[in-house]
Amino acid sequence: MRRRLASALSLLLLAVGGVQGGRGAWIYAKAELAQILLRRSWADTRAGRERVRPWPWADAWPVARIILPDGDHIVLGGASGRNLAFAPGHLDGTAPPGGSGTCVVAGHRDTHFSVLEDLVEGDRVLLEDASGTVTTYRVTATAVVDENETGVLAESAEPTLVLITCWPFDAVIPGGPQRYVVWAEHVETLKRSNVERQRPPSRSWSRVGSSWRYFVR
Amino acid sequence: MASRFFSGLVTVALLAVAVVAFPQQGEETIGLGEVGRGSLLAATETPGRYIAVPLQSTEVEITVKGLVVEAVVEQTFENRSNEWLEGVYVFPLPQGAAVHAMKLVVGNRVIEGQVQEREAARKVYQQAKTEGKKASLVEQERPNIFTTSVANIGPGEAIAVRIAYQEILEYDSGRFLLRFPMVVGPRYIPGKPVETESEGMGWAFDTDKVPDASRITPPVLHPDNGKINPVKLTVSLDAGMPLERLICPSHPAQISADEGGLRRIRLEGAFADRDFVLEWVPARGREPRAAVFTEELDGVYYVLAMVMPPADEFVETVRLPRETVFVIDTSGSMGGASILQARQALLLALEQLRPEDFFNIIEFDSNFTELWPESRPAMPAAVAEAKMWVERLDANGGTEMMGPLLAALSDRFEHTPLRQVIFITDGCVGNEDALFGAINAELGRSRLFTIGIGSAPNSHFMERAATFGRGSFTHIGTPSEVSLRMGELFAKLENPVLADIELVWPDPDADTWPNRVPDLYSGEPVVVTARLGTLHGDLEASGVRAHQAWRTGVKLSVGKDSAGINRLWARRKIAALMDDRARGVAETEVREKVLEVALEHHLVSKYTSLVAVDVTPTRPEDAELKSGAVPTNLPAGWQHDKVFGHLPKGATPGRVHLLTALLALALAVALRGLRTVV
Repeated sequence: MRRRLASALSLLLLAVGGVQGGRGAWIYAKAELAQILLRRSWADTRAGRERVRPWPWADAWPVARIILPDGDHIVLGGASGRNLAFAPGHLDGTAPPGGSGTCVVAGHRDTHFSVLEDLVEGDRVLLEDASGTVTTYRVTATAVVDENETGVLAESAEPTLVLITCWPFDAVIPGGPQRYVVWAEHVETLKRSNVERQRPPSRSWSRVGSSWRYFVR
Repeated sequence: MASRFFSGLVTVALLAVAVVAFPQQGEETIGLGEVGRGSLLAATETPGRYIAVPLQSTEVEITVKGLVVEAVVEQTFENRSNEWLEGVYVFPLPQGAAVHAMKLVVGNRVIEGQVQEREAARKVYQQAKTEGKKASLVEQERPNIFTTSVANIGPGEAIAVRIAYQEILEYDSGRFLLRFPMVVGPRYIPGKPVETESEGMGWAFDTDKVPDASRITPPVLHPDNGKINPVKLTVSLDAGMPLERLICPSHPAQISADEGGLRRIRLEGAFADRDFVLEWVPARGREPRAAVFTEELDGVYYVLAMVMPPADEFVETVRLPRETVFVIDTSGSMGGASILQARQALLLALEQLRPEDFFNIIEFDSNFTELWPESRPAMPAAVAEAKMWVERLDANGGTEMMGPLLAALSDRFEHTPLRQVIFITDGCVGNEDALFGAINAELGRSRLFTIGIGSAPNSHFMERAATFGRGSFTHIGTPSEVSLRMGELFAKLENPVLADIELVWPDPDADTWPNRVPDLYSGEPVVVTARLGTLHGDLEASGVRAHQAWRTGVKLSVGKDSAGINRLWARRKIAALMDDRARGVAETEVREKVLEVALEHHLVSKYTSLVAVDVTPTRPEDAELKSGAVPTNLPAGWQHDKVFGHLPKGATPGRVHLLTALLALALAVALRGLRTVV
């Protein structure tokens, strides 16, 4: 009897473990997979198309590409919880990427923006907009703030980039009231023509027929 | 990091609440261990460092006699820190308030303030401030937003500033209305920040569209930290007639009646987070038909006259088809109770439409959306579609008002004899003047009616927008008022009841304000002020009412003698002169004329301030003075998140899922191990 109970319990625990493991893995897989689809729509966006939805039922579209020390991510317009599951989000109503004023990009601390923890003063962060203009920013400060401190979103006269993610980085439970904020000041803006010449080979997944191939251009 | 930012809400000591505020540059800060108990602290850019701010409390005494309101507002600034402080408090007053006196009260001494040109007054104040003298300065930022600055409040000291104003009581649809605003709702500031250092201490930067934004956006205390700025208020009401009803819809005020028909209204234990509203209705048949108040000053007479056209019932009106464009504010400040009231009001208004009417709806926040590209006939299907659309409206985002306003006023086709724009908003924007200019320029044959929503709307915007729009202003403060107020508005929307109003005074050189009386809607009286050489004779008012001439006379010599009518006259003249700016008159020209009136009648205006200085210096030369902006509450019913937002969330539940998975698997493995052992 006891044996049967123990075996039922262990089966149940196995099932719970499987489901939870699957859910957790799916969250990280989604963050990675979405970026692949987003790269495709970003290429279309760069080619001049507007509001390219990465998948048919998406309600957001890419607005920028952010290049962080550990790699680049396509940025979606809007920093809603739904968007952030797929990509960093550009906060609506803040300055456009590379534009004058404060441009705010938010991301998850355990996926796209995990690298924020390691950013220090002087690090470079680049933003590419739809026209291909790349703006280079230099990290000037970092801070832990309360989620109500929306003053960090305040307009500034100089072009400024503000990156936001949750804090602490190693917390298990999401939804805490604290945020980690990185400020970066404008260094230089390179128009498309100049960028083309300097651009390092880009690597991306592309679809060939029915299969995906990894291309280095 | 050059940009200043909000830096946190921390609770300190017993009473202490830390508030968001911007420190002056170069200000010295203190740590938490260094402050006295019960200090009000404002956070600075440096985490863990704070500046002290004086505690503010207000005591208001209002006296109502007939149509004239006289009020004394005493603001006490208490310094519980160990520092010498300057307090800066941004607060509202009624939009028609003629602020004529200020007293600085230091212990037993009372120093009378003087009206001076704004820059001169500021210089006097600054000098006293640096010399260590106690001083106070009252400046006008908007007709309904003022700033009190008090310098050199010593450690443990309390200094009071007593401000006196007068205004004309509002009488509309058979109801008298006394409104005393207590909090400046956070205003939306459009435009790009300017490069120069912002002048004020507010949470907004000065922008190209609102160059004084930092002066009209006092720091806002997060509601989680409780309420501050307690208010005590008493009203002595001499209505001059028997009353049917007297209520205070905004607060649980105590109402008691003295002998002789005098009533006393007392409010204690309130905090400055909403407008105080008192309403009374005369007993049936005792409604005033006309009222005259006069004052003689230096050989000239000042008159305040109210004439009520006869009630509607006997007039037959033909309802004309109309095009109605509804504009509804769905910005973040409308979040919570306000958006519910706004939707409710709009749904009621949609039901009033008839099939021969045309209509459209525009909703706006940071952007605006029109229900349809152009107005449609109000057939049942269209009205049903509109209702569904309205039900889904939610409040979020900024308040970019110019776009939707211009869209609503653009009269693209002449469907109908009447064209009405109904604007539902709390008016919480900082660029009022630009909007007035646009209304004035683009109005055409449209008429603009404003509906003010919420516990602390910007009444200055509501009233002036309706004046420029040649419509009327309705205010809805609570959900229970919606149907009543909307009913009054529907009556007004039918037609102006009195047009082409002309006034003839016994003195042909009478200086009358407003100098042209606008068309009146149902329930509205003619209220006019004048300066003239004689009171012998009648004021003759005439107009056109339902295509018939209407005429009435009021004997001026029987008017009640009342002090301060000159101020009411001067205040109205200043309001009219200020309106000229929206009509294209150069500001320099307006300024000159306003200065003359304001200085002669001792009034605060955009160009004149009240300043008082105590002669003896009290702050030791080696003690430093610190400045703090006194924070305000969020208006009642508002949602902090909707206005100031919060930073986006930045974590997934991925780790929780993986961790529980690991735990479950480990337990399962452990159980299996247990089983083999057993």
